[in-house]
Amino acid sequence: MLSFVNFFLLPGIVQGSIYALGAIGITLVFAIMRYGHFAHGDLATFGAFIALAFTTMLGVSPYIALPLAVLATGVFAIGIDRLFYAHLRTMPKIITTIASFGVALMLRSFVQVVWGVNTTSYARGITRPENWFGIRVKSHELVTLLVAIALVVALHLFLTRNKWGKAMRAMSDNPDLALLSGVDNNKVIALTWIVAGGLCAASGFFLGLNTELKSLMGWNILLPTFAAAILGGVGRIEGAIVGGLIVGIAEELSVLVIPGEYKVMSAFGILLLVLLFRPTGLFRGKVL
Amino acid sequence: MEWITVLNYPVYLAIFICIYGCLAIGLNIQWGYAGLFNAGVAGFFAIGAYTSAILTSPWAEGRLGGFDLPFPVGLVGAMLLAGLLAWPIGKICLRFRSDYLAIVTIGVAEGIRLVARSEEWLTNSARGISAIPRPFGDLPYAKAQLVYLGITALILLVAYVLVQRQAVSPWGRMMRAIRDNESAAQAMGKDVPYRRLEAFILGSALMGLAGALYVHLARTITPDAIDPMLITFLVWIMVILGGSGNNRGVLLGAIIVWVIWSTSEIVTDQLPSEYALKAKYGRMFLIGLLLQLVLRFRPEGILPEKLRKEPREERRVGEQDSVTQATGNIIN
Amino acid sequence: MKAKHLGLASLLLGASALATPALADVNIGLLNGITGGAAAMAPEITKSLQFAVDQINEQGGVLQGEKLVGIMADDGCSPQVAADAATKLVNVSQVIGVVGPLCSGALMAAANSATIPAGVILISQSATSPEITTLKDNDLVFRTIPSDEYQGQALARTLLDRGTKKVAVSFINNDYGKGIAEAFKKEYEAKGGEISGYEAHEENKSSYRADLAGLAQGGADTLVLLDYGDTSGLTVLREAIENGFFEKFVGAEGMKTSAPIKAIGADNLTTFMASAPVSTKSEALDIFNKAFAEAGGDINASYVGPSYDAVFLLALAIEKAGGDKSKLSESLRAVSNGEGEPILPGEWKKAKELIAGGKAIDYKGASGELNFDANGDVPGSYALFKVAGDDWEVETEMK
Repeated sequence: MLSFVNFFLLPGIVQGSIYALGAIGITLVFAIMRYGHFAHGDLATFGAFIALAFTTMLGVSPYIALPLAVLATGVFAIGIDRLFYAHLRTMPKIITTIASFGVALMLRSFVQVVWGVNTTSYARGITRPENWFGIRVKSHELVTLLVAIALVVALHLFLTRNKWGKAMRAMSDNPDLALLSGVDNNKVIALTWIVAGGLCAASGFFLGLNTELKSLMGWNILLPTFAAAILGGVGRIEGAIVGGLIVGIAEELSVLVIPGEYKVMSAFGILLLVLLFRPTGLFRGKVL
Repeated sequence: MEWITVLNYPVYLAIFICIYGCLAIGLNIQWGYAGLFNAGVAGFFAIGAYTSAILTSPWAEGRLGGFDLPFPVGLVGAMLLAGLLAWPIGKICLRFRSDYLAIVTIGVAEGIRLVARSEEWLTNSARGISAIPRPFGDLPYAKAQLVYLGITALILLVAYVLVQRQAVSPWGRMMRAIRDNESAAQAMGKDVPYRRLEAFILGSALMGLAGALYVHLARTITPDAIDPMLITFLVWIMVILGGSGNNRGVLLGAIIVWVIWSTSEIVTDQLPSEYALKAKYGRMFLIGLLLQLVLRFRPEGILPEKLRKEPREERRVGEQDSVTQATGNIIN
Repeated sequence: MKAKHLGLASLLLGASALATPALADVNIGLLNGITGGAAAMAPEITKSLQFAVDQINEQGGVLQGEKLVGIMADDGCSPQVAADAATKLVNVSQVIGVVGPLCSGALMAAANSATIPAGVILISQSATSPEITTLKDNDLVFRTIPSDEYQGQALARTLLDRGTKKVAVSFINNDYGKGIAEAFKKEYEAKGGEISGYEAHEENKSSYRADLAGLAQGGADTLVLLDYGDTSGLTVLREAIENGFFEKFVGAEGMKTSAPIKAIGADNLTTFMASAPVSTKSEALDIFNKAFAEAGGDINASYVGPSYDAVFLLALAIEKAGGDKSKLSESLRAVSNGEGEPILPGEWKKAKELIAGGKAIDYKGASGELNFDANGDVPGSYALFKVAGDDWEVETEMK
């Protein structure tokens, strides 16, 4: 029982919260700008490497680099939007999706040119888990969970209490109506990118912290992240979180029933099932 | 140096252009005519490649097949199986907007790569299949290449003519109607989901064909050959740059992109190794940037889609007319 | 299709411009894994290849004093990229022989689609897949590195000799991992060992804890990890140590890189060992190490010895064959078959004079005797390495 918790459930929850952070961004972009953003995974890679740059250049601990990287990636995401997506806004949305593939490629090659293709990590050495009544947790796993929870709570407060948060929700529910009620389209979009980009960097950072940093790390979590967003219901923040956790846990548990090689396919299986039986997702989100 | 050896490289380049041309036309049917976003081109390519490899290679221990069948059987089998795979995927995804299709096809391509990697009995897993025959492959190198170029060019030509005939027929107009305004087409009594599925399967079959043509050129296939970046992304660039919806355009795109891609490598390889590595990845960056530039400055591509009885200006994708914008019924 | 003609015409011009080397150069292709899975090893390998080329040119070049030119190309460690690159080498650069590619899958594609059909000889310094042994190659494919078949077997025997009777095996799901894992399993079980868990893992997963937990259930305290130390192998190793799934870890030469030491730290790797082909202590190796270190190379880097040998052997074969492409395989066998005047690394001038005098020579390489068998393979000698300080150190020779 304990070994089930230690080796399957707990890693699943950690992995799941990483997916959840990415999935929130995807679901926000999907709901507010109405396109699938396929550069999300590579943006996470970029964020993770930015954090690495901060740790090596400033010599600070990765945890201090995290907020810097979140902010930098958020601003960077706005830049990407201005440069590559903004002028496509009047075109069919799917064109922007294509553009996001191009951005994904550019981000990945940028990381490969600057930081190379070798696996690296934030800190040398290993962390052995601490034992809490038989449950073994590593400190950075604990941090991952706590920060993920904190970010989600902050986002929730922002969306429900703050004027701009409300504007974002209004855009997501009905853009035309939001526009008529005086919501500034451009500001909301910029805000969305800050939030989505920042969360994305956080997910990349935690992925790198819990495993290693490599240039394809973000691309590899794109599918599970999308699966999580769609499973939760597009546009539903709480859905993205639950979806992320389900996908993360399901992936870890899947090795009990399917060969390890096909582990990565469990997210894909979930995606297909959702699309077949409940395209609105668990929390009745949008279907585009 | 004989003239024939000097020609070797351009011939090789041209064979690849024909193969990519097949892929580009396949994607053009899906995207250009039906507005379907297939982000798993590599997957269908791989299905075709493996099918043809299994059908035509000689018997080998420990894996399926080695049926030693003739080359054309391999091609047909590749098309059939790729089309067959497209059917359930289309069934599930074509009800939704193409973003969903994109993410699912990424998953499909990944799944196929995993199967090719893991299922020893089927694909000989990571070691791959070798000794795949090539028609007239016993000729001296240069001649064999030329003959194979002839074969691929002929197949591409046939595919082009057939697809082009469909495109200018009522079928093509119907597809475009579905793409541009789904509800209107539905109101006119068109069976939208069925037609989309048709385009998706047809396009996928062509991608399978391209895979088969590749495998007989390379004579060996391993799971690593299914590089999602290289295949899927390059084909997308070819279609968008050349002009989606225009078969001639996408062929032009295939020529331009492949020539740039392949010859630029000769240049980057000359650099000292520490720069060569960076130049390699820089090359991919430039391909991504190329896509952005095309979308920004010439979204209709070099050779835009031609529509009869309608001035071209109104049909530019870049100038999305206000009607479709208002109904919110954008390319689906 | 005017554009097509135009494109092809300009290309033809470009290609032939590139294809015409300066007069009196002998071109060989150096198919190196600059990008892709083997990219981490490429820089030192490049140095070694270039070092060999320079040395030969300094000592009089090949044939009538022509310059040996190494044309570098990237195999991307991927079949498609390698086939494309090899085609360019053979047809654009008109190389007489190719050294490389680094990866086995890349070699199969490059050999099958370009070098074998064109009748160009190919010598790889690091493609270790057992599959290459049986390749139908018209005697055109050689390796200066032994096949993994031998290494897997040697590793199995060494572990049993050291008293490890029960292990779990985790290997990367590609031609390298699978090939060596199968060879290991067969030999280990045949000699009475017990394999309590045997599973492949995918390269690009972010976490392998659940896979490892499954393997650990078999009760073995030793994990045989057949993977690359720069990529997923590092992640698997780290997670296995962190979570205490296993006590001891054994890898093969893919794991013997500096990355695990750098990332995990030597003090955490006291129970980690890795096997790798070694050049049996020889005069040839000492000479190479000294010269290569002076040229600024890292003598402990992977495959630098075999890389040097591959270039040197190819050059000897060219010299022996008098530049005749069709006689290269035959000449390659002739210059390194254990008979004749011994030639050590760096003794190009001496070799050249002997060949000119019609005498038999026998190259003794930095990586071993290098007497090719009928399949173009060489027998291997291996050692088990352990981490000492920030580097690898030989723990024991392997039989």
